[in-house]
Amino acid sequence: MTKKKLLVNIFGPILSVVVLISIWQSIVTWGHVASYIAPKPFDAVRSVTSNWSTLAPLTWWTIKETVYGYLAGALLGAFLGVILSKIPLMQRVLYPLLILTQAIPIIALAPPLVMILGFGVMPKVVIVAWIVFFPVTVSVLDGLNHVDKDLLTLAKVFGANPLRRFVVLEMPAAVTQLFSGLKIGATYAVTGAIIGELAASSGSSLALYQRSASGSLDAAGVYGTTLIMTAIGIVWFLLVVGVEFLATPWQRRSTARRWRRGAKPVLPNN
Amino acid sequence: MSNSTLLVLRGVSKTFGTTTALSPMDLEIERGSFVSIVGPSGCGKSTLFNVLSGLLRPDGGTITLEGKDVIGATGHVGYMLQKDLLVPWRTVLGNITLGARLKGKVTPENREQATGFAEKYGLGEFLNHYPSALSGGMRQRVALMRTLATNHQLLLLDEPFGALDAQTRFEMQQWLLQVWRDTERTVLFITHDVDEAVFLSDRVLVMSPRPGRVVDDLRVDLPRPRTLDTLVSPAFTELKARVLHQLHRERAV
Repeated sequence: MTKKKLLVNIFGPILSVVVLISIWQSIVTWGHVASYIAPKPFDAVRSVTSNWSTLAPLTWWTIKETVYGYLAGALLGAFLGVILSKIPLMQRVLYPLLILTQAIPIIALAPPLVMILGFGVMPKVVIVAWIVFFPVTVSVLDGLNHVDKDLLTLAKVFGANPLRRFVVLEMPAAVTQLFSGLKIGATYAVTGAIIGELAASSGSSLALYQRSASGSLDAAGVYGTTLIMTAIGIVWFLLVVGVEFLATPWQRRSTARRWRRGAKPVLPNN
Repeated sequence: MSNSTLLVLRGVSKTFGTTTALSPMDLEIERGSFVSIVGPSGCGKSTLFNVLSGLLRPDGGTITLEGKDVIGATGHVGYMLQKDLLVPWRTVLGNITLGARLKGKVTPENREQATGFAEKYGLGEFLNHYPSALSGGMRQRVALMRTLATNHQLLLLDEPFGALDAQTRFEMQQWLLQVWRDTERTVLFITHDVDEAVFLSDRVLVMSPRPGRVVDDLRVDLPRPRTLDTLVSPAFTELKARVLHQLHRERAV
């Protein structure tokens, strides 16, 4: 990446966020919006920092629910994708069930989950996994079904058994697709956690904190909580993008990173 | 069968439904020779390759490679297509050693051999490059090195240069001849290009469809190494004319 490109990549997003916040600030200031309807951006931030001792453990819970649910969902999703692609019968048997899982309104899922799993972390984790696994399954299935048939033929001629073909060719070939599913899942994950908290919390949680702030007309608290939730979503998404960046170097590099090289470097200027 | 015979086909046939893709065929290929197969589509040349590589089981006949029956088995030939089929996530080195990886682990010897090929044939600087950084000609070279690195005596090349522009193609042809001479392999080469067939080969087989069979088998005794001058020599033109006539006579019927 050139220096100029790097600057654009870093400052572009910062600029768009600054513009957004400025618009928000000016609407609230010059539009004479009452502070119990919408706070100024910095009031929302201040509400978070001044209540951080209360909010920190709640945030931590939400992060845990998001991450555990996401990892479980991603693993399950990838596994199902492989099963569906490798066992044709399973496409007939499982696919309708998978569609069914996504047709159930997530909110309606909470009461039975609470009855089964109680009010702890588990029902939220299940809800997050429930949302995340589907795009992952679809993308893995798609990726595996679109591996170049000639490449698989070549592997057969070379005498590779099906397991090797899968590990050496099909899995890596599906990785690009896998990550598009993982990224979609990453944006949904925190939403799932919050839905879970709304529908399946008895004690304290970010979602309930926001609801009670709303009840007491504390707009800064409401918006501040939203900021936290959004931040969790963004950071998680960026982490997934970072993993993709490390896992698929061939998509943007012309040579392998040094530590991945199998050959002694013969590059004169490197 | 003489000592120098590498591959023997006896009565090998294959039908798909009512179509005879390959009518019973006898063929002997000498070790170290370069044999091209030309013919219109549907003449059975791809079927022949699929039967030889073990992708298809023939309906009848025997195939003996280096004295061993290889019918229905795979993993005994090098194989290369018009598509280079390099995998984008492996480097040049990783692609050359793909055959070894597909059969198990890539050993240091595999890497050494691959590095040797790449350095000898002008790709030494690109060992750690991903295929996306290579030109079409370079990619085909890597694909051929991958084929060589399977260390099989018999190489089946199915129109490997079909997608290259004319100039790159000529360079690749000369390069292939050099590699073939250096590594002393036996090459079966499918092409649509009569010039290419005559230029490269010791022997050209002309095939014809319905039923798929060999209708002519001619020796090419042009001196080697072959160069640009070969392409304009009277002997070359004469051979080319014969192949063309065979192809068109068959097609006109």
